[in-house]
Amino acid sequence: MEKVAAMPIDPTPVARPKNAEPWKQISLSGIVTIVLASTVPLATGLLAMVLGLRFELALLFVFLPVQLLLGVLAGRRFSGKRGQADAILQIFVIFFAMSVVVLLVSVVWSVVERGSAALSWQFITQNNVYISGQTSLEYGGLGHAIIGTLLIVLLSTIVTVPLGIATAVYLTETTGKTRSTVRTLIQALSGLPSVVAGLFIYAMFIASGLTQYVGWAGSLALIPLMLPTVTRVAEESLLLVPQELRNGALALGSSAWKAFWLVTMPAAKSGLITAVLLGVARIIGETAPLLVTTFAANNTNLNLFDGSIATLPTYLYTFIASNFDTAVQRAWGAAFVILILVAILFIAARVLSRKKTAKKAGKK
Amino acid sequence: MAETQPAPIERRSLRAKPFSKADRAFFKSATWAANSSIVLVSLIFIFLMWRSWPAFESQGVDYIFGSTWDNNPENLVMQIGPMLWGSILVSTIGVVLAVPMAISLAYFIVFMANDRFGKIATVMVDLLAALPSVVLGLWGLLIFSPVAAGWAEMIYQGLGFIPIFDNSSGNFLRSPFIAGWVVAVMIVPIIASVTREIFSQLDRDLISASLALGAGRWSTFRRVILPTSGGGIVGGVLLGLGRALGETVAIFFVLNLVFEVNWFNILEDQGGSVASMILAKFGEAGQDEVAGLMAAGVVLFVVTLFVNMIASFIVAKAQPWRK
Repeated sequence: MEKVAAMPIDPTPVARPKNAEPWKQISLSGIVTIVLASTVPLATGLLAMVLGLRFELALLFVFLPVQLLLGVLAGRRFSGKRGQADAILQIFVIFFAMSVVVLLVSVVWSVVERGSAALSWQFITQNNVYISGQTSLEYGGLGHAIIGTLLIVLLSTIVTVPLGIATAVYLTETTGKTRSTVRTLIQALSGLPSVVAGLFIYAMFIASGLTQYVGWAGSLALIPLMLPTVTRVAEESLLLVPQELRNGALALGSSAWKAFWLVTMPAAKSGLITAVLLGVARIIGETAPLLVTTFAANNTNLNLFDGSIATLPTYLYTFIASNFDTAVQRAWGAAFVILILVAILFIAARVLSRKKTAKKAGKK
Repeated sequence: MAETQPAPIERRSLRAKPFSKADRAFFKSATWAANSSIVLVSLIFIFLMWRSWPAFESQGVDYIFGSTWDNNPENLVMQIGPMLWGSILVSTIGVVLAVPMAISLAYFIVFMANDRFGKIATVMVDLLAALPSVVLGLWGLLIFSPVAAGWAEMIYQGLGFIPIFDNSSGNFLRSPFIAGWVVAVMIVPIIASVTREIFSQLDRDLISASLALGAGRWSTFRRVILPTSGGGIVGGVLLGLGRALGETVAIFFVLNLVFEVNWFNILEDQGGSVASMILAKFGEAGQDEVAGLMAAGVVLFVVTLFVNMIASFIVAKAQPWRK
């Protein structure tokens, strides 16, 4: 306080900053600067490519430096030294963000393009008996693997969902002493290497000689992978339920259980369903744990408790390593089917959560 | 989003004592379910330890630091040194590549994009997170590897005199560099979503104040955003590192596993990964060798659990509004 008071006041008025009054219209030369700064780098980059430079080199050593230089100049013109740093930041942010977009589009597009070529009615209904990597695509398919995946995931879901939601209830509705421990462990479990989950079940049941490769072992191996996702999303959605609702229910004389069952849970319903969907999406493409617990099969097996079962990821895995073109096409087809399943789950989750946010719009 | 909620003063406690049987059962089952995660983690550790003990006993300390794997049943030698180092190397490359992309994406979503673009980008991050690793492995093997090998060759031609970019074999496929890229694609969404969450919960008044004082985007980022959210970002990066260390199938397809330590020649076509090695060896392993693979699982489990615990601790500390 005293320091401030002791400071002499500078009588000369502060110079008006260049970028004051931002509502003023941008001058013509300003517009020209913006247009030039955004088109010239692109043009030089293209020119360099036309002159024979590789795309990557043109991008990194022609486009980016020119864009940076012009961006800095334009930034400087509008807001001085500050503008330079801002321009550099924005150019880098957009560059890196765009590279993520490019990678994602590359993955999705290559799967869709190559996978759809392999897809046919017979490919998704028939099984893999008598099929090798060289067999023409007109024979055989992954119907058995789709069934196997659905069965195994169903069993995991039946076990994991009550467990995960009950854990979320413990984390949000009670004052248990181990809450922070459980939360940390669940978070840590979400990084559990999938192959370790498989080895765990292998060590517990198969190495002990309790069973051979079998479907339910695969389902068990997926539980530690699915549990963290279900728990975390369920916890989030339960936390979103306004405290007043719970208190109101309790004040009306309901027991804690009734308050949860009749008030909190219905309020968080869409979030809980989202938790289940995202959990399923998390495990539907898991490969390593299934390879060490259920292995792969060629025939259609509807029994989770007897014999090995084929799943989509293991089907993909067995064909990927082959050098034959048809085998690779089968692998792409399997990848496409997995992607479709993930996309369905994902869109369902999105639609549900959109409904939820629409309802909660008033609160947010 | 716009207005920050006041910090909850006190955690609500259910004061209503469970007075009915249903209540008691409700709380009991929730508690049991929650504690089952503790049981689960200990079970994983106990069973893996039990099955792998013979391998640890026969191989000793060399299991971790040695670099030979000989599956001759008469004289089994199992040492995972190169694989362990390879995991660290590949994860480091992945993290180095992923961090700028992830933070940029989060910054773009929260501070630059309008609502529409932000939402699209958020969906994109989630979709990227949902891609199964076997699909990424297929993409990495057949689409990305040839492209990235081209990049590797260009780097070698331009910067080959620097030791880390040296390549003596002339083969640029299946190198730690490529595996690092594939891992980066896997962990970008993890780091990006943690960072986005932390950015979006920042006190908007602070940022408005900084802008009103005349700071630009850069100085706001450097002086206001980073200091307040740095801890959380570090936590997110560690979460990504944990995932990278445990990545199995994708790396299996794009990396040449060699039992000889490749210290830092990232463009050389030899590398290692503990998780992928387990998968590669598991199919044809005898009983004793399986014990050795279990031991690798234990090492992987302990390392990733440790990294993840630290990460989630840091993230939890950086998100006090969660408590």
